[in-house]
Amino acid sequence: MSSTKNSVSYDALVVGAGIAGGEAALNLAVNGFKVLLVEKDLSVGGNMIKLSKVFPTLDCSACITTPKVSEISRHPNITIFTGSEASNIRRVADNHFVANITRQPRYVRVEDCTACQLCEKACPVSVRDQYQFGLIGRKAAYIPFSIASPKAAAIDIENCTLCGACERACPTNCIDFTQEVEHLEMQFKTVILATGFEMFDANRIPRYGFGKYKNVLTSLQMEREIAPTRPFNTILRPSDGKVPDKIAYVLCVGSRDASVGNPICSQICCMYSIKQSQLLMGALPMADVTIYYINIRAFGKGFEDFYQQAKGMGVNFVKGKVGSISETENGNLMLRYEDINEGIVKEEEHDMVILSVGVLPNEGTTSLFSEEQLMLDPYRFVHQTDGLANPSHTSIDGVFVAGTATGPMDIPDAILSAGSASSEAISYLLK
Amino acid sequence: MDKRLGVYICHCGGNISDYVDVEKVREAIENDGCVLMSKTTQFACSDSNQKEMVLDIQEQNLSGIVVASCSPKLHLNTFRQVSERADLNKYNYVHANIREQASWAHSDDKKGATEKTILLVKAAIAKARLAESLTPNKIMAINAVAVIGGGVAGLKAAISLSDKNTQVVLIEREPFIGGRVGQWGEMFTTNQTGNELISSLYAQLVTRKNVQIYTNSEVVSYSGSIGDFSLKIETTPRYISQDCDAKELQKAMDVCPVVVPDPFTFGITNRKAIYGFAASQYPKQATIDDAACTHCGACEKVSKNIDLSLQKEMVELHVGSVLMATGFDPYTPENGEFGYAENESVITLPQFKKLIDNSESKLIYKGKEIKNIAYIYCVGSRQGDEGNSYCSRYCCTSTIHSAIIAKKKFKNIHNFHFNRGIRTYGKQEVLYAESLKLGDLYLQATDDSPAEVYSENGRTWVKVNDILTESKEMQVEVDLVVLVTGMVPRSDKKVSTLFKLPKGRDRFLNEIHMKLRPVETAIDGITIAGTCQSPKNVAESVNSSLSAATKAFSYISKGELETEPIVVEIDAVKCTWCNECSTACPFDAITQGLDGDRKIAVVNTTVCKGCGMCTPVCPTDAIDLVTFSSKEIMNMIDALTEQI
Amino acid sequence: MADISKKSAKILVFSTEKISDPAIDMAGLLKLHYPPTVYTITIPCSSGIKPSWIMYAYEKGFDGVFIAADGSDCVFGESCTEKTGALVGKTHILMQEKQIEPARLRMAAMCSVCSESFVKQIKSFNEYLLKSSNTEK
Repeated sequence: MSSTKNSVSYDALVVGAGIAGGEAALNLAVNGFKVLLVEKDLSVGGNMIKLSKVFPTLDCSACITTPKVSEISRHPNITIFTGSEASNIRRVADNHFVANITRQPRYVRVEDCTACQLCEKACPVSVRDQYQFGLIGRKAAYIPFSIASPKAAAIDIENCTLCGACERACPTNCIDFTQEVEHLEMQFKTVILATGFEMFDANRIPRYGFGKYKNVLTSLQMEREIAPTRPFNTILRPSDGKVPDKIAYVLCVGSRDASVGNPICSQICCMYSIKQSQLLMGALPMADVTIYYINIRAFGKGFEDFYQQAKGMGVNFVKGKVGSISETENGNLMLRYEDINEGIVKEEEHDMVILSVGVLPNEGTTSLFSEEQLMLDPYRFVHQTDGLANPSHTSIDGVFVAGTATGPMDIPDAILSAGSASSEAISYLLK
Repeated sequence: MDKRLGVYICHCGGNISDYVDVEKVREAIENDGCVLMSKTTQFACSDSNQKEMVLDIQEQNLSGIVVASCSPKLHLNTFRQVSERADLNKYNYVHANIREQASWAHSDDKKGATEKTILLVKAAIAKARLAESLTPNKIMAINAVAVIGGGVAGLKAAISLSDKNTQVVLIEREPFIGGRVGQWGEMFTTNQTGNELISSLYAQLVTRKNVQIYTNSEVVSYSGSIGDFSLKIETTPRYISQDCDAKELQKAMDVCPVVVPDPFTFGITNRKAIYGFAASQYPKQATIDDAACTHCGACEKVSKNIDLSLQKEMVELHVGSVLMATGFDPYTPENGEFGYAENESVITLPQFKKLIDNSESKLIYKGKEIKNIAYIYCVGSRQGDEGNSYCSRYCCTSTIHSAIIAKKKFKNIHNFHFNRGIRTYGKQEVLYAESLKLGDLYLQATDDSPAEVYSENGRTWVKVNDILTESKEMQVEVDLVVLVTGMVPRSDKKVSTLFKLPKGRDRFLNEIHMKLRPVETAIDGITIAGTCQSPKNVAESVNSSLSAATKAFSYISKGELETEPIVVEIDAVKCTWCNECSTACPFDAITQGLDGDRKIAVVNTTVCKGCGMCTPVCPTDAIDLVTFSSKEIMNMIDALTEQI
Repeated sequence: MADISKKSAKILVFSTEKISDPAIDMAGLLKLHYPPTVYTITIPCSSGIKPSWIMYAYEKGFDGVFIAADGSDCVFGESCTEKTGALVGKTHILMQEKQIEPARLRMAAMCSVCSESFVKQIKSFNEYLLKSSNTEK
């Protein structure tokens, strides 16, 4: 494999192009600083772009994210590398970082692709679509999702059989199997980490039956079912395609649970579950929705009203810890739970169960640095060295942190945290 | 030449198309006079559609575009930029709001919503037909920001802007900076005290050449707009010069006859009318409480550095932007609310925090040693439709943190938390876990039967139907009841009213959009930071403050700003100079001028704000507001009354 | 005049960009329904409405005109309330001349979060207009 060594410099390296990284990059760019925005995924927009609607206003998420994403993509001071990763970041002097940037080949020349989807039609290989959280399949030659940016095809080389069907189908000849991994070394004056979070893997709690019972879904899968760009154009349960009419939410799955190594609260699950329940009540007016909770954490601006609104709409809130879930013959699910109000163990049957999975740190963040160590907190999020007065300071001078890389937070907080990190970075650049 | 229009009707991924037949709308307008092309689109704002629009404008040589989608508050600028990228002057783009004002408002009536949408799009087309290219006015932006409020949010914003080489004017109403944080003891998560935090921030700020700090000062009037706000600041004298040291102050305090409850300790201790030099009170210069002082002159007799004859002073300053960080007030319970003001064992959370700080080896309140403490949560928060419906966010964690400190600092403390569901979100959860491990008891009342405080023969009980123990009635005898009071908007609304800042349903100052523009207000150039926007803890306040500082910096960093060219135009032929318009104008933008030798009205376009107040008063109908002219409005009315 | 078979009257709303329009938007967001024959024209400030526009709306067939005024929240200054009042007064005279019922013009101050109040006002105005048009027939 050949490698090219370029040496280019920017004012700032922003790692992660989710909503926090994008906002931080934009803040720097509008004030005249040159930014390299590196994203390992094929699209910018992070988790937010994949959501349905957002609490507590029920704005459609795509409506808020896409224009922001397009502003980021188009800003002359921002260079975006998708499908790319930073590594070996090291501080060689004040105001001087060096980083290795690895660009994975997309096997598609983005500038020539018109997103006509003919390659998708031609491709014979079907695999599970990670952007729809495995609810449906996609091809090995595919456009990540309908509002992806860049909106261009990519070849999933792991699954590709190199049959060449896509190449033949492409009207602009933009498919290029000769692309190779590029290794670049670049210089920066400051670094902003916006590496985001990972969702808790529901497979880690076998007693809830995720992966075993088809009608047990995660909240992210449900998010896709109710999104405007949803895969089925309706809400249905996977086992038999029936429209569910008795849905349960199980909160704190993988959060506030020392037994899975995550003692902290994920901060967003109560609200996103309440949001989903409201959307479900709207889409399926006849359905019963029950939320099993320990404490409802409706703490932000407009959240408590939103919670009360869900109660008013008829969402059933049960203060109870779900012990286990089992499947009945018709694919329904039996929840065994401790009703905290009555102090007894009860059982209740539902035809679909949503696990409100929690937020975990992105484990990749530490390995970004060589030489100086990036300190983590006890929960493996990026450690804030001065959590009150300087929330975006990290253990490395000149490296700032934005968004959920420091811990769970909702979208407004992530955006404010990005504003904070970019403010510090601008001050650092002007020093 | 008639316009060549392109019309885009957005599905908004179902938000519009679920209730409005967008294809029918498109068909209804496709043959309208100058509509060259019309399209429906899944997401008009998506990158791919924006690219398509640019191509359409260029390839079809469009001279105007109409986008029918969500509220223009979200995407007016998005589509203005699209048209600029296609080299079409952005004022040739007209927006139709068919989501908030059609599909959502009439989701109960699809036919009605579709018909309304057709007419709204037709009206937008009517307006777009008359649209003309306009050049924005350029104005100078002064590289200075006024930060109003010297609490943690204001201090951090001031430091951040000063770091960015911007002139900062920090204006604090109180005689000392530090705000609420200055009043706190140890804080979660760093266990830093409020005093330590504020001292460090003040030390960073006070040496800077580009920062001016005005304490005891208020903004009393303002004029101008983004780029150049003119503020009048009134400073109340401290009456005491900087030469008065702590020793001299003590002498003056000894002779001062006026004793008032000390607001710095939330009234749990008293102070004299002359005071200063307490920890975390900066600047280190004593002051006299103007409201309490009787001007008896006793202090003047013992100190040559006191002069009660000093008068208020006024300065006028110009800044490019204003950052509001005016903070919150702790909720004050009603008399009798959980025994407040009636039972002397009942205090509020801020008072309790001060009590912990001020106590040494024993926790003593009103002469009694405190062992059993009840905390009643959500006082002044989550009150439903009748009161403050919101959650105050910081109080669960703050209470648990204080309860742990009390337990560790003093012997034999027993904590009883009468809560409504503990909200220690995020990493604050570990504090809750620690508190449980330390043996604190949590009792949760149902929403319809809250905890009750009652007393008999000087003894106090708290009673609750605890849902955690199968709704059994529990009662605990306690020495102290702490009401966990939430945050409420400042009762002093002078500044926010002065700037006419909109408030939300919770009465806190309102941002334009929680996610897209979280620190901007409806008034261009004025940002909001910290708890004046909503309840926040310290770190959250700092994040919001630095975000506001970044926004303020981007307003002024380029030295100039573009303003809307939406100003009034005078028809010189019709104008007879009667002076009516000039009288109506609140900005003095219209003066008398000459057209040849005829007197006519002349508009100063850099002063005109485009309100249009002058237009209805003209007896000869000689004034129109650009883009809102009679012709445009009447053509829109024509379109709205078309038969479909 | 309004058709007797109509379910809802045709109402033109003049709203303002910064104050009342956000309230009307929020009514939509909260799905607070009101008749779909209510149309909004957005202007910067309610004190900039020309009486001739209102008269033209009646001429073209609007049953009612509703001014969602800025009131004391107006960003352009306190005189807004007084000036909006004055133009309403002026319009009433013009309406009298044309023998148009003065109650077909309504004004109410709207704050930026007055969504519920907007919907309530519009519904009552609609009912009034329907009733008066029916009695006229």
